[in-house]
Amino acid sequence: MTRTVRLTAQALAVALVVGLLALLVWRVAHDSKNDVAQALNAGEHPSAPNFDLPRLDGVGRFQLASVRGKKPIVLDFWASWCTPCIHESKRLEAALRQYGDRVEFIGVDTKDYSSDARHWQRKHGITYPSVHDGSGQVLNRWGGLPIPRIFFVDRTGKVVGELQAEEDLPRYLRQIAAS
Amino acid sequence: MLVLVAALITVPVALASERHPSLAELEGEVMCPVCGTTLDQSSSPAAQQIKRVIARRIAAGDTKSEIENRLVAEYGEAILAAPRHKGFGLLAWWLPVAGILAAAAALGIGAWRWSRRGEPEAQEPVLDPSLERRLDDELARWET
Repeated sequence: MTRTVRLTAQALAVALVVGLLALLVWRVAHDSKNDVAQALNAGEHPSAPNFDLPRLDGVGRFQLASVRGKKPIVLDFWASWCTPCIHESKRLEAALRQYGDRVEFIGVDTKDYSSDARHWQRKHGITYPSVHDGSGQVLNRWGGLPIPRIFFVDRTGKVVGELQAEEDLPRYLRQIAAS
Repeated sequence: MLVLVAALITVPVALASERHPSLAELEGEVMCPVCGTTLDQSSSPAAQQIKRVIARRIAAGDTKSEIENRLVAEYGEAILAAPRHKGFGLLAWWLPVAGILAAAAALGIGAWRWSRRGEPEAQEPVLDPSLERRLDDELARWET
């Protein structure tokens, strides 16, 4: 009886250690940065990861997969507390007038309070649609903070680049519009 | 008795805090979504925004739970510095307690078994058969 109890206790202890090790491995594997921004920095052009988020205007949800591979996309990660986002979103709004018929402009309002975000859009005259990524999980998949982060996806659904400098915007817009 | 006194003191305080939360109190219980600290430790624009939201909701008469629910709906569960006392969050509160109790029980059982192993068991002294025979002879001779 004592031997059975001891063997059971040992088996439980081993199972616990194996479980904790498995948890550690899983955590390390998920911590490894394999986001879109890092893939771009490594010279790759990954397929744009899908997301399914509520629309900021509160009318239903939006899936990136619904436009990915059909139309080029500009993806703008922003928040109402982010001061530099104002400048970039206004530039995108201006570009929307020139490329809006060929390119899909989508904002991802991230780590933000949605009513403040809607007010911010009205205040700055931003008309392209946005989705709400309050937890920032989608932002993390694309590269994480800091924002603004603006990505360009061609017609085949591949991410071709991220805006790093002012002159990148017209260059990438021409590239994806022609794809 | 002590538990009753503690309950009499803490329950009204908790109820008052639930009905009329203060900004300072919530600042210590809500995380800044971009800095990894609670709001009271941060002056980032994102933290300032949430402080303003909380102040607005307090002014509107929201309870603490209503404010927390609103923030969780906007930012996810990670916006709270500590897991909530319901649903899956209960696991985070009770698992460590269960672990401590299990460890204490294991230690107690181990100590009890170890202390019993240390006690010398009462045993009949074993004599060499030749010595035993000699002792019997001597005793028989003494008795006669």
